[in-house]
Amino acid sequence: MIFDKGSFRDQAGKIFYLNNKVYRIITNEGSERLKFLEENQIIEKSIKDNYLIKSKVVSNNIINESLSKNEIVYEHEKIPYISYPYEWSFSQLKAAALHHLEFHLYLLDIGANLIDASAYNIQFIGNKPIFIDLLSLKKYEEGEYWIGHKQFCENFLNPLILQSKKGVYFNNWFKGNLEGIKTEDLNNILSFKDKLSYNIFIQVYLLNKFDQSSKKSTKKFKSDFKKKFSKKSFYALLRQIKNFIKSLKPKKNKTIWEDYSQNNTYDQNEEIKKIECVSEFISKNKFQILCDLGCNNGLYSTLALEKGTKKVVGFDYDINAIEEAYNMSKRKNYNFLPLYLDASNPSTRIGWNESERKSFKDRAKFDCVLALAFEHHLSLAKNIPLEEVLEWIISIAPKGLIEFVPKNDQTVQKMLEIKGDIFHDYTEENFEKYIRKNAKIITKKNITKSGRKIYEYER
Amino acid sequence: MKKLFLLFFSLIVFMLTTSKSFAYLDPGTGSIILQAILGFIAASIATLTIYWNKFKNFFTKIFGKKDKKNK
Repeated sequence: MIFDKGSFRDQAGKIFYLNNKVYRIITNEGSERLKFLEENQIIEKSIKDNYLIKSKVVSNNIINESLSKNEIVYEHEKIPYISYPYEWSFSQLKAAALHHLEFHLYLLDIGANLIDASAYNIQFIGNKPIFIDLLSLKKYEEGEYWIGHKQFCENFLNPLILQSKKGVYFNNWFKGNLEGIKTEDLNNILSFKDKLSYNIFIQVYLLNKFDQSSKKSTKKFKSDFKKKFSKKSFYALLRQIKNFIKSLKPKKNKTIWEDYSQNNTYDQNEEIKKIECVSEFISKNKFQILCDLGCNNGLYSTLALEKGTKKVVGFDYDINAIEEAYNMSKRKNYNFLPLYLDASNPSTRIGWNESERKSFKDRAKFDCVLALAFEHHLSLAKNIPLEEVLEWIISIAPKGLIEFVPKNDQTVQKMLEIKGDIFHDYTEENFEKYIRKNAKIITKKNITKSGRKIYEYER
Repeated sequence: MKKLFLLFFSLIVFMLTTSKSFAYLDPGTGSIILQAILGFIAASIATLTIYWNKFKNFFTKIFGKKDKKNK
């Protein structure tokens, strides 16, 4: 039984893992909160309407620890791959924000409320967002304020505004600050013209103004108002933000790889050869969850799904490619989750005690890895020793395909044009030698005239 | 402008009470002040929008019918 190190903020319950399943202990405090929800079938309704992760009460006997009378154990559906908001593209964060708001409005309709608005409470199953924190739900009390408003702004709204108005990708900033982007920081960046928008004026400029004035004020702030916040106002505020977020579009900067699938260096026959090679490998294996490194717009991820893989998680450091891949996954309803990852600087553990949010390595548990036209971006562009690159790729999954791109390939030639060839270690012989240090080479296929090769390995 | 904010702020502080509420999350003072002031405005806008849409629908229906007759 392993307790999740990220579920400590709310004393009402804790997540733990046992035999590859996900459970949640609800403490006495949490049981009190859940009583109303259970009596009114709020959890069942939310699950049925696809807002909340599938959850069911299980017998207390599954854990050895003795529980007190009121404590309950829930089992949750397991999320195939836990992702974080700083790994999402604009449209993914937008979809998560809208899911959160729609769920909140839905709960108000049935007499419930949310106690927070953390983006980490939304996860993706394939292309679909889902709310995972059962204990964020509570009974709605007449007159209460939206407690999670500030958190919602920092976790969802501010990053979206930043990218939409300024063309600044929120990912790296978010990764450096667990709770997203502070309203104060965003307010300093936005121009006067940006603030002329009614919603930005209110949710950024005014909110910051009130925050600053309250910090300066010496008067003690009490935690409640005599004047209640009407339910009508609550609805209106949620709807207003929802409509505003719906209208936001990403301001895109052109990136190098977003047109890669159209402008690559393969000719048509070579591409067919590569597709055949991947198809054959996927078809002979029955993979549950595959990792596509350098997935770009998802060409090989979708091929893997079509050839029988159950789920695919794709990674790319080109955020525009992730955006495109996500929109495609949504349109075609694939069980494919593309995520932003700079493999030379992957997501690390962050938050309290460096363990609240997990690193890429902590989460990378896949049956298979595809690293097609990928390794040279680390070994040549980032100077990471080839041996380490291969060891890292192979550590992700027991089976996989790795493409070798030789020095005489057009892409590599272009990469080395200015930099010069300082990579004497980068040879086909060494490539094979380093794979063999970590795994067996099952097959080796030549796919282009320039000598690109795809290696199938098994460790 | 500053005076206006001071006025708003004093108004809100004046409205404070000692009754207790509990939350594991700090809602942020600025957020509560904003909601107290703008919740009302947002609700009023929402109500006005409903009436505006009814008003628009009323005319669309009339003109819509005329269009059909014309055809």
